[in-house]
Amino acid sequence: MSTKGFRVASILFVLVIVLLTLPSMVKIPYYLHLTVLALIWVVVAQGQNLIQGYTGYVSIAQGGFMGIGAYCSALLSVKLGWTVWLTLSLSPILTGIFAILVGYPSLRVKGHYFAIVTLAFNMVIYIVLFNFRTLTGGEAGFTDIPRPGEFAVGAFNFSSLPSYYYLAVAAAITATVFCWLLVHSRVGRNLIAIRQNEALAEAIGIATWRYKLFSFVASASLAGFAGGLYAHFIRFINPDTFTVAQSLNAILAVILGGSGTLTGPIVGSFVVVFLPEYLRIADFFRLIVYGFILILATIFMPRGIVSVVGKLARWPTRSR
Amino acid sequence: MLAELAQQIINGLTIGGIYSLMALGLTVVYGILGIAHFAHGSFAMLGGYVIFFFFKKFGLSFFMATALAMPLGVVFGIMIERFAYRPVRDAPPINSFIIALGLTMIIEGANLLMFGADQIVIPTTYHGVINIGPVAIVELRLYVVITTIVLILAMTAFINRTSTGMAVRAVAQNRSAAILMGIDVNRIPMIIFAVSSALGIAAGAFVGSLFAISPGVGEGLVVKGFAVLILGGLGSIPGAIIGGIVLGVSETLAAGFISSSYKDVIAFLVMIFVMLFRPEGLLGRAQR
Repeated sequence: MSTKGFRVASILFVLVIVLLTLPSMVKIPYYLHLTVLALIWVVVAQGQNLIQGYTGYVSIAQGGFMGIGAYCSALLSVKLGWTVWLTLSLSPILTGIFAILVGYPSLRVKGHYFAIVTLAFNMVIYIVLFNFRTLTGGEAGFTDIPRPGEFAVGAFNFSSLPSYYYLAVAAAITATVFCWLLVHSRVGRNLIAIRQNEALAEAIGIATWRYKLFSFVASASLAGFAGGLYAHFIRFINPDTFTVAQSLNAILAVILGGSGTLTGPIVGSFVVVFLPEYLRIADFFRLIVYGFILILATIFMPRGIVSVVGKLARWPTRSR
Repeated sequence: MLAELAQQIINGLTIGGIYSLMALGLTVVYGILGIAHFAHGSFAMLGGYVIFFFFKKFGLSFFMATALAMPLGVVFGIMIERFAYRPVRDAPPINSFIIALGLTMIIEGANLLMFGADQIVIPTTYHGVINIGPVAIVELRLYVVITTIVLILAMTAFINRTSTGMAVRAVAQNRSAAILMGIDVNRIPMIIFAVSSALGIAAGAFVGSLFAISPGVGEGLVVKGFAVLILGGLGSIPGAIIGGIVLGVSETLAAGFISSSYKDVIAFLVMIFVMLFRPEGLLGRAQR
């Protein structure tokens, strides 16, 4: 085995061990709770990375799409009494269908125009969730969303925190593997071509329009899936969770971690979930400190944490 | 019915004027520097708070306090350009957008820290009502509209008639040629942010006196500002003015005749509709 292959294999091995034993090692339930949230965020961030990092179109609607997924899955399970496993698997599909309707007008424009139009769509979703009281419960949202409890695999009953953790791990891995396969396929190469030079990509015969829509819908579906996972995890949703601020958080996760890489969104997700929690010590200054960290990080490590760590890891071998 | 329509249009013009002010600040920054200055809304709210503070602490009248706050805005605007945006000037555009998000957080955090989370309204003494036939105009609204028009005229005169304004337009048209002509391209972004921030402060003052300021208002305002930019065409000054009025009037008409809770949805649908048929905006040039 080559040294690089050996290194990758050993990292994966350690990672699997850590992921499997984490619930028994983390003694404070709150940290496990945050870890589950971070894993759900990995799903969102991988999706955001598809459209932002690989296709080069910054969408600011991920929070809204999470909302669509969350409300679809929660409503179907609460109002119609469908089993959570079914509603959870429907959430990305329903969100994807909605994303086609959003993507069609949005993708007619480029750059900042595109970003702002998707942002407007996010606000529309929020306002509808907020005002359509008969269906969504309005600002009060609705509670008692079931956990996927009745489906027990051996010792796992998915209504407990540790077992939901394993569900979140599975979801995060699925999203990452999906993106890995996509990026290393023909479709992925075409997406990267669009990011690098859209006019050229079109000139050599890539149907850029179709690929952009695909990338947009795939990223929205992942966000919708994450929204479903979130709803059944927290068991309470209201529109405030699905504002533009949430979409901005998804962008931050991708940028801070490292956009256009597969590990970046994972690292970024943990940062955006855990950093604000640690900054709670700063209390009133939290928002200000977070803002400064963001600005300094953008100025001094524009390629994200992953790239900085990668450089540090290569440093000893190179200096020799 | 007709009187109500006229009344709604008058109200819409006031709000539209404020949107135009917001959008003007955004459009000069975007059109000339290519920065989507997302922190503009929070910055405007900061202005509103400062004016409220001037009133409380020193008992200054509304317009006096606004006139004092605008130079402060100029100083802050220059600092924002110098320390936050300039370091990423040559990086991809998304980086400056992230900087804008960071700035938004800092300004929102500072607003919360200094002025608390309570909703405030800047008090004024202009409560009189002027009746023109069946249409009633509150005195304050009239003054706000007049001040808005004066500010817009002053800004366009600055851009179109002064030599500094000419330098700004030169940089917008062709940056490298402007450098060759001896224009100091480090000074131009500062001037643009100074102008934009002063306009933002004025917009914040008007929102604070006509409506109310509270945390989170700034975000909604900046999104409306960007919607105006899209309506009118990114970077176009007449587009920002017309777009602001179109958005303000359609929004109040929607609130008055259709549904007040869905007025923003209707405003955004207007924007999306315009974009489907004229992606470059009402007055924009075709995209390159």
